Order: sequence, then C-alpha cells, then structure tokens
Amino acid sequence: MRTSFALPAAIALAAAPALAHHGWGSYDAAHPITVAGPILTSKFENPHVLVTVKDSSKTWTIFLAPTSRMENRGAVAAVVAVGREISAYGYPSTVNADEMRAERITVGGKTYEMR
Amino acid sequence: MEHEAPAIFVALEQSGFAAAVRQWRWLYPLANVGHILFLIAFASAVAVMDLRLLGAFAATAPGRLLARARLAAIAAFCGLAVTGFMLFSAEASHLVLNPVLRLKFVLVGAALLNALVYEIGARRSIEKLPPRATLPRSARASAALSLVIWIAVAACGRSIAYF
Repeated sequence: MRTSFALPAAIALAAAPALAHHGWGSYDAAHPITVAGPILTSKFENPHVLVTVKDSSKTWTIFLAPTSRMENRGAVAAVVAVGREISAYGYPSTVNADEMRAERITVGGKTYEMR
Repeated sequence: MEHEAPAIFVALEQSGFAAAVRQWRWLYPLANVGHILFLIAFASAVAVMDLRLLGAFAATAPGRLLARARLAAIAAFCGLAVTGFMLFSAEASHLVLNPVLRLKFVLVGAALLNALVYEIGARRSIEKLPPRATLPRSARASAALSLVIWIAVAACGRSIAYF
C-alpha cells in the first residue's frame, strides 16, 4: 500500500512545531479571578467580543461572548464601550498571564452572564 | 498575541474581508453553520464512494454511483473551503499557530493526495466495471485510508477551539 506512510508522516510533521496556542480549554476554572477597571479598547466583533481592561496592576485582555449572545443578554456595544468601568469575573489563561475569559461582567450596576 | 504569526496571516486578519466576517452581524454565524452543513454533505458523499470501493452496494455498477458521489463531494468541498477560509481569516494570526488546525491542514493535504493517487491510478478503470466485480486492492486501500483521514480531519476541526 503505497500511500500508507503518508498519515504517520503527516502527523509527525504537524506535531513538530509545538507552538502553544490557547483555546477555550486553556483557562483555569479552578481559580477564578475578578478584574475591575476602565475599558481601554473594545472590539465588538465575532467570534467573541474582546476588551482590554486596566486594573490596579496591569492591563488585561478579556474574552467575552459572541456578539449575538452579548446583545441577547443586553450587553450591547455601548455597555462595553471604551471608558466604561467594568468588573469581570472569570478564569485566567494558563498560557498568557494577562488574559482571562469572563464568566460574567458587571457594568453600571448591572450584571450580564456570558454563558 | 504572545507568539509571532507570519506577516501574511496578520495581513489577512487585518484585511477588509476578515473585518467584514467579524463585524457583519450574520456573516460569521453563517460561515460557521455553513461549514458544518457542507461537512455533512461532504462526509456523506465521501462515505458513499469509500464504502462502494470497499465492497458495499455491490449490486450497483460502480461507475454512475462513484461519478455522482464524486461531483457532490467536489461541490461540498468547495463550500467547505470557502466557509473555512471565512472562519480562518477572522482570526488568522491566532489560528495559524493552533496545533490542531495545523494538524488538520496536513491531514486535509494527505487526504487530497490519497484521492489524487486514486484519481490518477484506478478511477477510470473502476468506473467501467460491472456490478459485483472485485475491485483492485489499491482502490480498497485508498478508500479505507480516505475514511480514516477524513474522520480525523472532522475530529480536528471540532477540537480547534479547545487547544
């Protein structure tokens, strides 16, 4: 079978660059954190809304929900606009020290669930 | 982010096309759902071809069945490529570093190569065979390999978000 070497060779080839990229799996759900501060940048885009937030120590990159879910929950673009004070409860990335995935956010006294 | 993506993928992510995929309300969900629907069509067509080559539906002459399933598979693959490119471009600089997506691309390449070997080698002679004819070993091997690789491709695709 002439082609049978292709599969193992292919797997070896792909596995070679062991670059650690993060997906939804690499967040530490056992150690949730809360990050609070002003929103510095905001991208209300798919596949998920992304904000950066400055807390007392550093600037966090925080992944929120897809745009359609954000809007269904009332967390429209104006809620997570630049300059708004946000408090985000969620899980820190196990790969990037300044990145987290939000479980829920509180803006202007209202809490929005991200899941 | 922390790891450097090649400039071409950064440029792709920053292109107007990718921005439209991220910002137009229905474009990303459409590509997302479309990719799965095309996958169903593609997997079905490929399964018909591979199973016929492995000896199923043997009462049917292989020619017409394989030719029609092949057209459906090619059409569905084009749909997969277009929707897949949309999903990829939206986050290209991230995704190009994703190990599972890299594995998926290599597996797609391997599956297409396997199909090409069959196309060049056995296809024309097999499509002339009568019902119940014994199919060449090489064709059966290609079919088995095809099933295994495409299933692995689908599994990788589903796993991208978790790595």
